[in-house]
Amino acid sequence: MHVYIYDEYLNKAKHNRALNRLEIRLTDLGLNGKIIRLGGIKNIKGTIQNEIKLGAKTIIAVGNNQTVNKIIGSIIDTEIYGDFQKKTLLGLIPIGDDNSIASSFGIKNIDEACNILLARRVEKIDLGMIGKYYFLNQATIQSAGTTLEIDDYSLEIEDKGEVRIINLLSDQRETIKSNPHDGKLDILIRTRRRDESIITVNKLKITNAVEKLIVDGVFEIETPVEIGIMRDKVNVIVGKDRSFE
Amino acid sequence: MFTKENKLEKIKDAETIIGASIKVKGNFQGQGNIIIEGALEGSIKTNANLYIGESARVTANVESKDAAINGEVRGSIKTRGYLALGGTAKIYGDVQYGELSIEKGAIINGQLLMVTDDHRHTKKIDDESAEVEKQ
Repeated sequence: MHVYIYDEYLNKAKHNRALNRLEIRLTDLGLNGKIIRLGGIKNIKGTIQNEIKLGAKTIIAVGNNQTVNKIIGSIIDTEIYGDFQKKTLLGLIPIGDDNSIASSFGIKNIDEACNILLARRVEKIDLGMIGKYYFLNQATIQSAGTTLEIDDYSLEIEDKGEVRIINLLSDQRETIKSNPHDGKLDILIRTRRRDESIITVNKLKITNAVEKLIVDGVFEIETPVEIGIMRDKVNVIVGKDRSFE
Repeated sequence: MFTKENKLEKIKDAETIIGASIKVKGNFQGQGNIIIEGALEGSIKTNANLYIGESARVTANVESKDAAINGEVRGSIKTRGYLALGGTAKIYGDVQYGELSIEKGAIINGQLLMVTDDHRHTKKIDDESAEVEKQ
C-alpha cells in the first residue's frame, strides 16, 4: 500500500492545481493510495508510525525538505524503525520551494516523481545525526568564528564564508564528490578568500558562539553540537539523475 | 604529482584539503592524499602523498609516502618515498627521505638523512638483535 503524506503548507489554495495534477497522474499510473494531510493532525508521529504498523509498503513525502525530515524524525529511534527499514520504502514528491533533498535523488518535478515511484529504483542512504535531529542533505553554518573538533585535532576558521557538513549533495555541479552510502560526512569550507577546504570524517563537534547551524535548510540548532552519521538507514526510491553513484 | 620531470605539481585527487584560511591544531592523520595551504600545529601523518603549499605554515612533525613542500615546516619530515622541496620551502628540522630534489632558493636548517632499503634492513636486523638480547 502507498501512503502519501501531504505536508501542512499544501493546504494553501495555491497548491490545489499541483495536487490535482498529482492525483490524476498517480491514478493513471495505478499508484494511488491513502492520503494523509498533516494539516489536520496533531500527533504526526503516531499517525505515521501507525501506517507502518498497518503495513505501508511505501511512505511518500509530498512537500519539501521539511516534510521528509518530519517523516524520518517520526520513525528513527522508535520501535517501529526495524519494520520501516525492512519493509517500507521512502518516496518523495516535491512541491514548492526548499526541495534540495528531492533534487539530490534526481526528482525535479511532480511528473518525474510519479515516473520514479513507478520505476522503484531503491538506494540505501546514510542519515546525518545531530543530537535528536536527523538530516539527509547537509548542515551549514557561517564559517567566521567556527571551530570543528575532529578525532585528535581541531580546525579554526576566522574568515567569513560557509561551512557545509554534507551527507548527500544537492547540487550536481559541485566539485566535491560526496557519497551517501559510505558512512562518512564530507566537510566543505569555502571562505571569501575563495579558498576551499575538504575533509572527510565519521563525526565531529561544531562550535560557534554567535551563529546557528542550519539543518537541511529548514531548521536552526544552537551550537556546540556533535554531528555523526548512521550508515544505510533509509531505503529511498531515487531517479536516474541522482547526484551520487 | 611526483614524477621527476614535474616535481612540484599539486596533487589532483586529494581527499583532504586544508585551505589558506584554516588553522589546524592537533594530530592530523589521513589515509589519502593531503594538501595543506593553511596553518597546522601538532603532527601530520598520511600513508599517501602530501603537498604543502607556498602560503602554508606547518609547525609539526610530518610523515608521508611522497611529499612536495613549498611552504614553511618547523619540525621533522619523514618521507618514505620521494621528497621535492620547492624554491620557497623553508625547513627547520631534520629530514628523512627515500629520494630527494631541492630547488634553488629552498632553505633547510637540519640534518638530511637518506633512508634506503639497506638502512631499513639494517634497522630491522638491529631491532631483532635487541629483541634476542632481551630474551
